[in-house]
Amino acid sequence: MANRTKGTVAAAVSGFFKAIGGFFSGFGTAVAKGDLFVKLSLLWWGAGYVRRKQYVKAVIMTALEAAAILFTIFFAMDYVPKFGSLGTVQAEKVFNMDTMKSEFNDYDHSFKILLFSLFSFVVWFAAIIVWIKNVINVYKLQKMEENGEHINTFREDMKTYIGERFHITLLTLPVLGIVVFTLIPILLLVFVAFTNYDQNHMPPSQLFSWVGFKNFITLFGGGGLTSTFGYAFVRVLGWTLVWALFSTLTTYIGGILLSLLLNSKKTRMPKFWRFLFVLTIAVPQFVSLLLVRNFFADNGIVNTICDNIGLTGFLNDIGLVGTTYIPFLSAPGWAHVMIIIINIWVGVPYQMLIATGVLMNIPADQLESAKVDGAKPFQIFRKITMPYMLFITGPALVTDFVKNVNNFNVIYLLTQDVYTTTDQAMGNSQAQEVDLLVTWLFRLTQDYYNYKMASVIGIIVFIICAVFTLVAFNFMIKGDKEGTYQ
Amino acid sequence: MKVKKMKDSRLSTIILHNVLIGVIAFIWLIPIVWLVCTSFSAFSGMNTHTFFPEKWSISYYVKLFHPDTVAQFPQWFINTFVVACATCVISTMFVLMVAYATSIMRFPMRKPLMNMAVILNLFPGMLAMIAVYFVLKTFNLTNSYAGLIMVYSASSGLGYLIAKGFFDTVPRALCEAARIDGCSEARIFFQMVIPMSRPIVVYTVISSFLMPWMDFVYAKMILNAGVSSKYTVAIGLYKMLDKQLINDYFTQFCAGGVLVSIPISILFIIMQKFYVEGITGGAVKG
Repeated sequence: MANRTKGTVAAAVSGFFKAIGGFFSGFGTAVAKGDLFVKLSLLWWGAGYVRRKQYVKAVIMTALEAAAILFTIFFAMDYVPKFGSLGTVQAEKVFNMDTMKSEFNDYDHSFKILLFSLFSFVVWFAAIIVWIKNVINVYKLQKMEENGEHINTFREDMKTYIGERFHITLLTLPVLGIVVFTLIPILLLVFVAFTNYDQNHMPPSQLFSWVGFKNFITLFGGGGLTSTFGYAFVRVLGWTLVWALFSTLTTYIGGILLSLLLNSKKTRMPKFWRFLFVLTIAVPQFVSLLLVRNFFADNGIVNTICDNIGLTGFLNDIGLVGTTYIPFLSAPGWAHVMIIIINIWVGVPYQMLIATGVLMNIPADQLESAKVDGAKPFQIFRKITMPYMLFITGPALVTDFVKNVNNFNVIYLLTQDVYTTTDQAMGNSQAQEVDLLVTWLFRLTQDYYNYKMASVIGIIVFIICAVFTLVAFNFMIKGDKEGTYQ
Repeated sequence: MKVKKMKDSRLSTIILHNVLIGVIAFIWLIPIVWLVCTSFSAFSGMNTHTFFPEKWSISYYVKLFHPDTVAQFPQWFINTFVVACATCVISTMFVLMVAYATSIMRFPMRKPLMNMAVILNLFPGMLAMIAVYFVLKTFNLTNSYAGLIMVYSASSGLGYLIAKGFFDTVPRALCEAARIDGCSEARIFFQMVIPMSRPIVVYTVISSFLMPWMDFVYAKMILNAGVSSKYTVAIGLYKMLDKQLINDYFTQFCAGGVLVSIPISILFIIMQKFYVEGITGGAVKG
């Protein structure tokens, strides 16, 4: 994964725009140098194909154009004009004299307006691409005709979709899935962040509207005296970063140590031991984490044992615990430490598996020659094994950090329903000391319908992840040693 | 004399080494052992006094197959299985299709598309899913399997990197030769590359099949207000631990956890071999 991810992030944006530039220049040439029919295809998409006798294609393109126009008139026009206000007609029950029943008026549904407007924008964007691409293609056909080349029949054209254009066949559905289920939702989320969509503005009964950067200001401490979002945000963000750092480092180091231990020549039955560790992560997390949570519950088995051996009493005496039980997962401080420890239990076997794979790939000749030169095992570890590990798993370390920023399962399964915050200010913003940004966001949407703040937090999470990834990869590229291990 | 002494010290370090591993493994296995033991308890609630149950019985395994209003384990199992099969088919297809197109084929949009994927992958999946949840709710698709399957599989194309890493190892010369012989790309894909890539196909199939079994968040989100008979195993088991229910259902939760873990563990252990190969294999080659 090393070289593949490296650089692509940095190159992503520039490469993307370069491609777009080429696309438009092709369009310019086509319009300038095309014949009458090419120019006509600007208006009637099928024109150029009719001229080159590709009638089926002409029909398809005409149908597509008709579909785009019909979509615009009968669907998009219902929603897009209201995009600026997100609707003005509040839902009301009115008494209908004809049916003698009270019915809803023809109200505006703010969310539908937002969603379908966005959908229309995407469709229009796609239509423009097709329109430009179409002109370029038609111009290409004109060129081919001028040069006396063979112009494909429809059947031949279809055949290219399992031949040299097979990638279009392959990619259409997956890309469509990603656009509909990742791209559009993300854009939607970004839009919601600039509205006041929350429990007091829930469609269909109420409208919501644009509020500009107000939600961002609320999150960063503005928003009036009663708002505690600024306070909660700083605390949650702090814990998220601490958690991500510690959980990534502990499992990474733990995984390497464990795999070194297991792969040592002294180990008997390494496969058996590895099996035991893999077993602990093969059990689904919702089973193992929910179980561990009850294991460490306030009246759970661990507390009983600690009480019996006098640990609870001892901790009471030195003032670490103020209750008759140890609040492993129910008090701040204790819960934070326990979560990281439990995460070591969950994460180390994973890292061990990866580290094992990497260790097996260390160039054997390097190890051999180091041994011949009389290097001590620790020296070999520090000078060969560790740099190699870091080289291979460095990018994975970055992605692990990002994954941990978004590690919903561990936090949610361990603390939901168990941990209740005693901090009034945190509680007012529906946050808890042990929350990550993502669990906070999840609670805001699922239990409190505070979509606007959740969206803002979502954007912040993305910015954190993106900035961190870019900086980390840039840093790695600077110390580029790509050729070192090849 | 000297030789013997050296052997002794070596033997003792070997024993020490293995004991150390044993101790670590023991710590790691405690919760799993507790899970299995508790599932055989004769007492319905959580045992807070002793590690091992005071009385053993298999009655809660039996109860698991006699559903009541809260616990409908067989139904949950079937639900999850249906969702898992559908997800498995769609995801596997998407992942292999994208991986093949980006790895073996060359076309102008290849780089831009891959760059877009890198950027999109920076967005945590959860965020997109929350927006998807708004959308599904608007269309009344929450609390339905169709919605859940779409959530699991529609964007799976983004997770193509491991499979691509594997396809990158397929010798280019072989594909070239097939092309010169007049093979269409589709035939190269189906009759050459796929059969050659059995490990990564197995990995993709198993990992996408496991996704609905292992997942908790998305199911919780989509099946939020549903009735018990529509839950997946994860949600069903989670609901058993509600504050009002935990005293009656904790042992049953453990029994269910053990039953669902057995098939998953087997699949997982088969898969992890390919997981390591896929990740590191791709990394070394770059």
